[in-house]
This record gives sequence, structure tokens and C-alpha cells, in this order.
Amino acid sequence: MAKLGKKRRVRGIESKKSLYGRMFVLPWEIGIILFFLVPIGQSIWYSFTEVWLDPIEGITTYFTGLENFKYILNEDPKFVDNLTTSLTNFTYSLPIIVIVSFIFAVVLNQKFKGRVLFRSLYFLPVIIATGVVMEFLTQSVGGNQNPIIQLSTDASNAYVSGGIDFEGVLNSLNFPAEITELMAKYINMIFNLLWDCGVQIVLFIAGLQTIPEQLYEVSKVEGATSWEEFWYITLPMVSNTLLLVIIYTIIDLLTKTTDPVMTQAYNLMNMNQNYYHSSAMMWMFFAIVGVITAAVLFLYNRICARRWN
Amino acid sequence: MFKFKKQYFRADHLKVSHRDQYKRFTRSKAGNFFYSFFLIAFGLFSILPMIYSILTSFKPLDELLVYPPRFFVIRPTIENYTVIPSLLDNLAVPLSRYIFNSVFISVVTTVLHVVVASMGAFVLSKSNVYGKKIIFSIIQFSLLYNSYTLAIPRYLIYSYLGMIDTYWVYILPMIPSSMGVFLMKQYMDAAVPTALIEAARIDGAGTFRVFWQLVMPIVKPGWLTLTLFAFRDLWQLIEGGTVFSEELKTLPSAASTIAAGGLTRQGSAMAVTVIMMIPPILVYMISQGSVTKTMSSSGIK
Repeated sequence: MAKLGKKRRVRGIESKKSLYGRMFVLPWEIGIILFFLVPIGQSIWYSFTEVWLDPIEGITTYFTGLENFKYILNEDPKFVDNLTTSLTNFTYSLPIIVIVSFIFAVVLNQKFKGRVLFRSLYFLPVIIATGVVMEFLTQSVGGNQNPIIQLSTDASNAYVSGGIDFEGVLNSLNFPAEITELMAKYINMIFNLLWDCGVQIVLFIAGLQTIPEQLYEVSKVEGATSWEEFWYITLPMVSNTLLLVIIYTIIDLLTKTTDPVMTQAYNLMNMNQNYYHSSAMMWMFFAIVGVITAAVLFLYNRICARRWN
Repeated sequence: MFKFKKQYFRADHLKVSHRDQYKRFTRSKAGNFFYSFFLIAFGLFSILPMIYSILTSFKPLDELLVYPPRFFVIRPTIENYTVIPSLLDNLAVPLSRYIFNSVFISVVTTVLHVVVASMGAFVLSKSNVYGKKIIFSIIQFSLLYNSYTLAIPRYLIYSYLGMIDTYWVYILPMIPSSMGVFLMKQYMDAAVPTALIEAARIDGAGTFRVFWQLVMPIVKPGWLTLTLFAFRDLWQLIEGGTVFSEELKTLPSAASTIAAGGLTRQGSAMAVTVIMMIPPILVYMISQGSVTKTMSSSGIK
């Protein structure tokens, strides 16, 4: 009996604590249910139905099963193309971004004068270049006044450097047109790359700073070269950060508002009021993102974790 | 979803990171030169568009129309800035109202978001609240998802709650953003020892007091980082489909109006862009040191 009584008392305290906890987390829970879970549920439902705006009843849905998915894959003129473009861009951007931001992080993590200033320099695009400012910088408010240039620039390629008309500048230097175009394209690509790396650089720097200095001292005493230090100390020690960066980059690249699939889905929804196809597209795409993320996690656990941990 | 095999991060690492523990390299002079050159070149390159927009905002009209565009400004003028209020004359609402709206919305929402996220994270990190695991997987799931794809279902909820065309539509949906809870939880896991909380409890502090007077000061770098990210997003916020009254619109939408004016308004559009860049940079300067510190703990789990 005594034992039982004790047990009950403990549970009493626990439940009181739990009640407090519930109170603390409740505002957030209500918010996430209202503004995330319910819309998500609705959007899943839309992707399996046909939705139209009824003048009397408002939004009306009719269950059609997998019809929407069949339609976007087989009949939609642009979806498959957009999906391929998006995934191709992703495939080459991911390794480049991860490697470049790692190199920058290693360099910025070293001791030199004005380190903080330089880190800020690389992080600045992350802070400024979102929303309207980003739009202005990409939509070339400042450059591209020439209507010919405006026409020749592919509107779907939203480049950061649009504010500066590199093509115009290069044209004025009287290079052949092909070289100009190519150079402008590569300069723009470098810009996009650098502007995508901000958060990743910070993550890597943070990861590098958690490596204890002693490990390097020991390895130096043991006579390891810097190459070996990199492969046997630095890389294994940042492997967690590496995974985090890869996943962050996947999500960042594939859920960008400039992504062709996202743009198409958004335009369908807002301009054509075609909620069901747009929802189906988003869920299809989201499933692909999920599969890629899962694959990366699986590979990481299979290969890297086994070797390094 | 984010399951890591091993945890490298403990509270004592955070303390160590203050110290100078950077690896010292002995480089040749050429190497040093290469390093500085590499850093300066790419650093400048990455902020080139910003420099360009600042320069453009000081260009007089004739210089704006030069083709090919010139990078530097020859005869700087502040006309582009002084003309902004008069450009909005036909909008019925003065420029000050847009600025007030933007500042009001960003400050109030940022504060609420940080408080709500920290409270949630505190509980998720340090107590056994019911459904903790489910909540955390929902957080991870929602991190994968782009909120802007939920526009239509969200609109239905806003209209059901009567939030359309009010300040609420800016404020309420932004409060439960899951990035905040995720970051704060990871940081609290790493930075706040459970023993400290237990000690405070034994000394008679209630849950609220533990949270407000003990945990919040410890995780200051965490919520400063969160403030930076939240402020950045909120400052740029345009609610296109849900706010129709001109007096409730924010500075970014006024900026779009100016930019829509065409070629001759490029200077002013750039001037507004430059003005819009300033507040996030100020917030960044305040929270600058905290960002790396917080990120170093976000790698767990």
C-alpha cells in the first residue's frame, strides 16, 4: 500500500508539471494546427479531388482518386519538363554548394585580421536578399533598360545579379556575342552560388569550431600531414554538420520560390484557380523531395556513419 | 527524420568556443596574399549587387539611362530619396503610414514569435509533455514544406476567423513558425544543463520563473539569432491576397508600387530598396556574434 501511495504522489507531480508544460506549448500548438496542419490536410484532399468555386456553396470538391496525378504526368504540357529542369539544376547545384561553402568555411575559420568582417560579408546576402529586395535585385530595376537585352534575357532565369547588366557591359567591350553571353551566364551563376551559400558557410564554421584543438596537436606530434589531418580529423568531426548542410541545401534548393515546379504550381493556383492540379503538383514534388532526403539520410547512415563514428 | 548517430555537442563545447581555438597556420607571404585576395575578391563579389543598388540610388536621371550601364556614379544626387514621399501622393496614404505598419508588424510579431517559440522549445527540451515526439516530428516535417504553397487553404482559414484585411493576418500566422521552435530546442538541449533547472526548482522557483529568469538569459544567443531571422522575413512581408486596405499595407508593397512606375523611377525604386536594407542590417549588427554560436548547436538530432 505504501508503495502504491508513493507511486501515485510521483504521478501527481508529474501530471502537474505536464499541465504547466502544456500551457507553455499551447499557443504554439494552436497556431501550428490552425495555420499548418489544417491547410496541409486540405491541400492533400484537394490533390485527390476536383475543386471548383460554386457561386452558392463556395468551394466544392468532388473525389476523383488519382486522376490529378495522372493528368499532370501524362497530359500537362509543362510539368514534366519543369520537373526535369528543377531536378537537373538541383543535381549539379547540391555538390557545388556544399563543397564551395565548406571551402569558404575552412578559409574563414582561420585566424586573420578582419575575420568577423569577412564572415559578415558572406552572410549579408542571407539577411538582405529576400522578398522585395531580392525581387528588385533580380528583376534588374537598375540595369537592362535596353529593350533588346530585356527580350533576349530568359525571364525564367531569375539571376541575383540582374541589377548589374553584365551582358551589357561585356557587349560594350566588343567581344563576340557568344563569348559575351557565355561569360555573363557564368558570372550570374557564380552570383547565385555565392548567394546560396550564406547559411551553409555559417553552419560549417560552427561545426569546425566544435573540433577540439587538442586533436590537431596530437596528430601533429604523431607526424600526420595536413592531408591526413583533413581526412581523419576534420571531415569525420564535421560529418554531422555535413549531413545537416546537405539536408538544408536540399530543402533550400527545392522549395525556393523561383523553382520552376513551384512557380508553375503557384501560378496555376493564383491565376487559373486550378487548386486541384496545383495541389497534386506540389504533393508530387514534395514526395520527391522527401524521397531524396530519405535517400541521403540512408546513404549517410550506411556509408559515412559506419566509417566515421 | 533528422536522426544523427552520435552527438558531439555538449554544453562545455559552447563555452570553449569563446576561446581562441583556431588552428594556426604558418603560411608563406605568397600564401597570405592569396588568402586575402581570395577572400576580398569573393566577398566584394557577393555584395556587388548591394553596392550597385546603393550607387544607383544616387544617380541622376540621365546617368540612369546611359547604355551600357555605368557602375559608378559621376554626379551623385539625393533627389531619388527626397522624391519618394511625393511619388506616393496618389495612393491616399502617406509614406509614414507604410513605415509605421512595417515597423509595428515586424517588431510585435518578432517579439511574440520569439516568446512563443522559446516557451514551446523550453517544454519540448526539458520536460516530458504528452506527445512530445509527435510535436517534434511535425516540426521537422513542416521545415521541409514551403509555406507559400499553402496560400489557398490558409486563405479559407483567415476568412473563417475574420482575419482578412486586418493586422492579424500579418501577425498570427507568423507566430507559430516551426523554424523558431526547432532552433531554440536544439540550442536549449545543448546549452541548458538539466541539473541547473533541477537546482532552481529545489530552491523554490516555479516553472515560469525558471523559464524567464534562468533559461532565457542562458539562451540569449539563440533568441538573438531567431530575432534576426524572424525580423528579416517579417520586414519583407507582403500580404498580397489578404490585405486590401491601403492603410494596412507595408513598406515593401509601397516599394513595389514605386518600382512599377517604369524607367524614370528606377532611381527611387533603388532608393527604397536601400532604405529597406538598413533595418535588417542593424538587427544583424546587434545579433552578429550569436549566429555562429547558435548554429553550432543546431547540428544535433
